[in-house]
Amino acid sequence: MLSKSMMFQMRRGLQALVGLIIINLVFIILAPTYRQIGNFTTILSNATVLGCLALGSTIVIISGGLDLSIGSVLGLISVVVGNMLNLNVPVVFTVLIGLGVGALAGLISGSIIVATGIPAFIGTLGMMMAFRGMAELFGSGRDMSAFPEAFTNLGTGYVVPVLITALSFILVGLFLSKTRLGFNAYAIGGNQEVARLSGVSVKKNQVVYYMLGGLFAGLAAIIETARLDFAQSSRGTGQELNAIAAVIIGGTSMAGGMGGIGRTLIGVLIMASLSAGLSHLGVGSSWQRISIGFVIILAVWLDTFQRKRSAKA
Amino acid sequence: MKSFNRVLISVLLLTLAVSGAVFANGGSESKDAGGDDQITIAYIGATKSMAFWNTLGKEAANRADELGVKFIDLTPPELTASEQKKAMDNVILQGVDGIIIGAADNRAFGESLDKAKAAGIPVVAVDTGIEHEQVKSLVQTDNLASAGLAGQYIVDNMDPGKILIIGGTVGHQTGNARRDGVMQVAEANGVEAIFRACDWDDTKAFETTQNELGANPDITAIFACWDPGAMSVKAAVKDKGLLDKVVIVGFDGNPANLKAVKAGEIEAEIKQDNVLMGRKSVEILVDIINGKPVEEFYPINGFVIDASNVDEYL
Repeated sequence: MLSKSMMFQMRRGLQALVGLIIINLVFIILAPTYRQIGNFTTILSNATVLGCLALGSTIVIISGGLDLSIGSVLGLISVVVGNMLNLNVPVVFTVLIGLGVGALAGLISGSIIVATGIPAFIGTLGMMMAFRGMAELFGSGRDMSAFPEAFTNLGTGYVVPVLITALSFILVGLFLSKTRLGFNAYAIGGNQEVARLSGVSVKKNQVVYYMLGGLFAGLAAIIETARLDFAQSSRGTGQELNAIAAVIIGGTSMAGGMGGIGRTLIGVLIMASLSAGLSHLGVGSSWQRISIGFVIILAVWLDTFQRKRSAKA
Repeated sequence: MKSFNRVLISVLLLTLAVSGAVFANGGSESKDAGGDDQITIAYIGATKSMAFWNTLGKEAANRADELGVKFIDLTPPELTASEQKKAMDNVILQGVDGIIIGAADNRAFGESLDKAKAAGIPVVAVDTGIEHEQVKSLVQTDNLASAGLAGQYIVDNMDPGKILIIGGTVGHQTGNARRDGVMQVAEANGVEAIFRACDWDDTKAFETTQNELGANPDITAIFACWDPGAMSVKAAVKDKGLLDKVVIVGFDGNPANLKAVKAGEIEAEIKQDNVLMGRKSVEILVDIINGKPVEEFYPINGFVIDASNVDEYL
């Protein structure tokens, strides 16, 4: 039983990888400018912000949850960080506090969901609005730009942001595969009741997963704010949906209990390749969105189709 | 299925609770307004998250205060026309004396404006024009002419190559006029221009700029139709090490952008006179309410800020 489900999972990961390679081959053949090295480093660096957001989402989705508030958390942390840099707070403290406030935001969302028992969809939808409102209170109408180089270096070029993101992926990979808490995410996502009966403190663990989601939204905000060299309260609007899309395209199931960060990485790269490649083909942003929409549908369809077939077999 | 129903019911309850709160609020407001002869006007700006709109709204409130007019600010937090439409529907029910609307999208208000007409409430549009008989006047930066200034600045200062235009949402009146202003000047001078809509989203502006610079190495000038967009363009061009090669021009003249002009990273900014726009829109609405004749259109001129005069505005 376990081996069958593991094989199924590996096959889904492999399909996503093949999809990524095919998409890139098509663009390499059709668009001469896509072939430059500079293009691939641009794709990687553009994928870092979405990568961090999707990383947090992966943990939450595996544990059977959903966090719609992370886009707003990104905006909130952007203005928190921007304000602190304006007050000349040292960069190290700024980054630590930014990550801390991100985790705190996740703590709030997670606690609300486990304490009230309302669906994660509703709870985080509410917090999505609340965090955006807070971001506006802290950020509206203020000039937060021209940050010190020690900060902007975290997001400019591709080396530093890609390294930060890669390190995060490795850490979360170890967390999910080697720690009790990480392993419990699969157990809770698979079947909450069974997890509870086998002695897992479900609610406490769930709150931790939301905290990690918030923490990585904070990291995404730091990279993004450093890269654009200005803070803005509207930043991240709609990004939570892109993060969820990347997780799904990679092949992690929305039902919870299954998935992994390797697949999310592939999902993120597919989305970044698509938007870059279509630009190189001279395709406008409307068509980019149409194509990403259909890729999401295709990914989920593959998932359900194969699940049915493997259940029959 | 059961759990789906539960979600659906929760959503409906949530919606009811939210709209209930809005109506309750509206009810108490109208009681205040109905008590005396003071004029009450509602102001619905496009968003709370852009410096441009915050200044405009603040100046409108100040002018209303000077004129002894009660001023209700119902600007939604985000740039969504549907939220604005709801706010407008509410103030029409509430019975204010006039409405100022800075539309996030000029096409969303037909039905609401019909209601305003039935209720006899005059409407003044600011920044973005709306085609409707109840919209008695429009206070607007002459976007086409002002973007023409940007186009001329770019053509005069760029190296041979293409212009990239980073735009707002497809079909948005203000965004279209700014795009066309630059396009027309480019065409007249035989320069090719590429237009990309970025939904007024600074993240998208950054990624689009990077991708287009990769796809079109001969881009030597970039015009962003709004200011945070220009900041993103600047960051993307800087990231590619092309600041010396690419002329960047933004539109609005926000403080952050002016700092970048001072630093020589953005070449020029078209400044809208949002102070005058906010004040003028209140004056005109009050004139209409008092039965005085007004013009249908009050164009407010933009102007170029570059390294030569940026110090006056910092």
